[in-house]
Amino acid sequence: MIRAFLLASTVLAAPAFAEEFRWAETTDPQTMDPHAVNSAPVLGFLNNVYEGLVRRGKDMAIEPALATGWEPIGDGEGWRFTLRQGVTFHGGEAFNADDVVFSYQRASDEASDTRSWFAPVSEVVKVDDYTVDIMTSAPNPIFPDSIANWMMMDSGWAEANGTALPDKENGNYATLNTNGTGAFMVTAREPGLRTVLEPHAGWWGEATHNITRAELTPIQNPATAVAALLSGDVDLINPVPIQDAARLAGNDAVKVIQGIEARVIMLGFPHEADALKYSAETTDANPFADARVRRAVAQAVNVPAILQTIMRGNAEPASQLVSPAMRGYSAALSDRPAYDPDAAKALLAEAGYADGFSFGLKCPNDRYLNDEAVCQAVTGMLAQVGITAVLDAMPVQNYWPELRADNYDMYLLGWSPGTFDAEHPIRFLASTPNAEKKLGSWNFGGFSNARVDELLPMIQSEIDDSKRQAMLDEVTGILQDEVAYVPMYVQPLVWGAKSNVDLTQRPDNFFILRWVTVN
Amino acid sequence: MLAYVIQRVAQSALVLLVVGLVAFSMFRFVGDPIDNMLGQERTQADIERLRVVLGLDQPFVVQYYKFLEGAVQGNFGVSYRQGRPVSDILIERAPATLELAAVSGFLAISIGIGLGVFTAIRRNGIGANVIMSASLIGVSLPTFLIGILLIYLFSVELGWLPSFGRGETVDIGAWSTGFLTASGLKALILPSITLGLYQMTLIMRLVRSEMLEVLRQDYIRFARARGLRERAVNFRHALKNTLVPVITVTGLQLGSIIAFAIITETVFQWPGVGLLFINAIQFVDIPVMAAYLMLISVMFVGINLIVDLLYFAIDPRLRVDRTGGH
Repeated sequence: MIRAFLLASTVLAAPAFAEEFRWAETTDPQTMDPHAVNSAPVLGFLNNVYEGLVRRGKDMAIEPALATGWEPIGDGEGWRFTLRQGVTFHGGEAFNADDVVFSYQRASDEASDTRSWFAPVSEVVKVDDYTVDIMTSAPNPIFPDSIANWMMMDSGWAEANGTALPDKENGNYATLNTNGTGAFMVTAREPGLRTVLEPHAGWWGEATHNITRAELTPIQNPATAVAALLSGDVDLINPVPIQDAARLAGNDAVKVIQGIEARVIMLGFPHEADALKYSAETTDANPFADARVRRAVAQAVNVPAILQTIMRGNAEPASQLVSPAMRGYSAALSDRPAYDPDAAKALLAEAGYADGFSFGLKCPNDRYLNDEAVCQAVTGMLAQVGITAVLDAMPVQNYWPELRADNYDMYLLGWSPGTFDAEHPIRFLASTPNAEKKLGSWNFGGFSNARVDELLPMIQSEIDDSKRQAMLDEVTGILQDEVAYVPMYVQPLVWGAKSNVDLTQRPDNFFILRWVTVN
Repeated sequence: MLAYVIQRVAQSALVLLVVGLVAFSMFRFVGDPIDNMLGQERTQADIERLRVVLGLDQPFVVQYYKFLEGAVQGNFGVSYRQGRPVSDILIERAPATLELAAVSGFLAISIGIGLGVFTAIRRNGIGANVIMSASLIGVSLPTFLIGILLIYLFSVELGWLPSFGRGETVDIGAWSTGFLTASGLKALILPSITLGLYQMTLIMRLVRSEMLEVLRQDYIRFARARGLRERAVNFRHALKNTLVPVITVTGLQLGSIIAFAIITETVFQWPGVGLLFINAIQFVDIPVMAAYLMLISVMFVGINLIVDLLYFAIDPRLRVDRTGGH
């Protein structure tokens, strides 16, 4: 008995076999319910605990998870998924088609934040225990791509614990407890303090990590997070403040892992407004309704300089609403308007604003990396071509209500496509707003182009990849010609880890624990 | 007597109600919680629906009335962020703050009085002058900076103490304590110094000046003249008479230790109610903000009420005035 114990403790102590891993993120996942809140901190964390029919690999490509394969049904009437056999939940329940049907009902219910993912779905049919048909009202080629975060919950467990539906406002059993099929199970959950994970012994996949226990602590103060990493109290922090990245990179005990996030930062305009709201003199006209003025803005903003100084060389310029890592990116249209203040002045003169004008620029100050500093730089650059921005920066909780109330003449927006597809920003940012069809819900300025509206449903239902890409390219071209937005750069991802940690950083900023090895 | 007590209690209750009203009128300016609660793919209809569910479409006076209605029944609502009853969360977080405040208060009083006496007795000594100059740091440096400096020195450079958190805790009933584990005690050191430093220097300076005052009194001279030993004069006679104002100030400072814990808790990621409040502001978690503000104002109003009532008990002049029948 004692010998066995000693043997076990030797094994535990050997670093190659087993490690405890601690990491810190700014935001604690607000719930453990995979269908209650559609936000990156929640879905990113729960990707370690729950699994979907499909999942994203290290390169963001879709790969089999709880489904071993899928194929279109007939002429695009839906998709047939073949389920993996022998999968068990953390509680020991077997996974089968009933759980898929249940998870569809749960995740598509009005009480669920994930409901919009299932807008194209008309019905989910159990064919047999390990085959499920998901029927769509129109052909939907990217459907498997859009459900990587749709996580499977055991129907018996959910019903026995009174959590057949999520309850976002009051919480219920699944808010604090989990029962997934993923590589890790939650063994302790103290909201806002710590969440402990341990490997799921019955996981269907082959574990490549060497973690025996992992603990997530939210640390909101960036200086505290950096100190925690440097003192060795945590193994990973996300994010590293941009200004500390160079200092950490110079330290042998830690390393900085940098990548490009999916989020494109852009400037938006009031396309529909009749007049500027915050101008000192131009109170009866809206210069930004003129595409030449918008183009002048695009040419007046020196994006490389912003990236060099404010982002300290950690970000990539953007030419369109999605980054090159996304599916459907228009590679042929990857040039952004060159920085050319003289051309910008000429365009302004052509539009009748040779003397410039003043306007209000709204900007969040705690939403994107160095957002306020970027807006200040933009303000300075626009002043050089004669248009004077009055900058009003505010916390994001005040920002969205201002944008919804149309209280801006120009605004800053970041967009990360949830489906990792170029169709996503067209639906939310470029379509004419239409509450009934759920289109353009983040198109604050009301940009509207008949051809874009016409192309969107065609893109959504086109099965042929090259035809689809041609249409996406056409939309990108229109948005660039019209300067609907001024995409500036793709936001960087900066993580800091101890130098003995090997991990993979995914562009969606999800931290996947099963890809971690502690040496 | 009874009339005076009732009057003071009624005044305190009125103050609480006004504080609550002001707090609720301010919440609109903190921002809109809806965007945090709904994902990227929300629609305008979702926003409207949730606003009605949460009662945010009502004027703030109505929201305040509903909060009060629940609060008098001990129901502070459900946290927007965590989806759990606010009272559960507060009970869970309170031990961390109270333990931190207790240790900080103890450090501030014991070290503050000790150094105060020392600097008063040796008021021209080098040591006393060094301490007096150093105490300026305690009063002038912001808590945030002191915390970060301590972390960099003792956690990052020397590696002696943890940089954040509470270490391991032991649950005794509903109370989780960090006093019973080595890591819990180590984790208390830096935050309690950070939190208590200001009070420590304040008490030290107060004790010193009171002590210098007392040492000049005739009875001290007589005590010396009687040939009492220096230690007896300093501690038995001088210090005792110094302590009356010190106790008053310390009592009032206790409230601020708990209230100012917000900053220390943020720097050290200390899982107490202060950190909870900061996170609630960032998320516009109105039920948590409201409950915390009410709790803190109850505490301050309560302390003031007790002080008032104590004055009444101690000071006979107040009694004569009141019973004199104006």
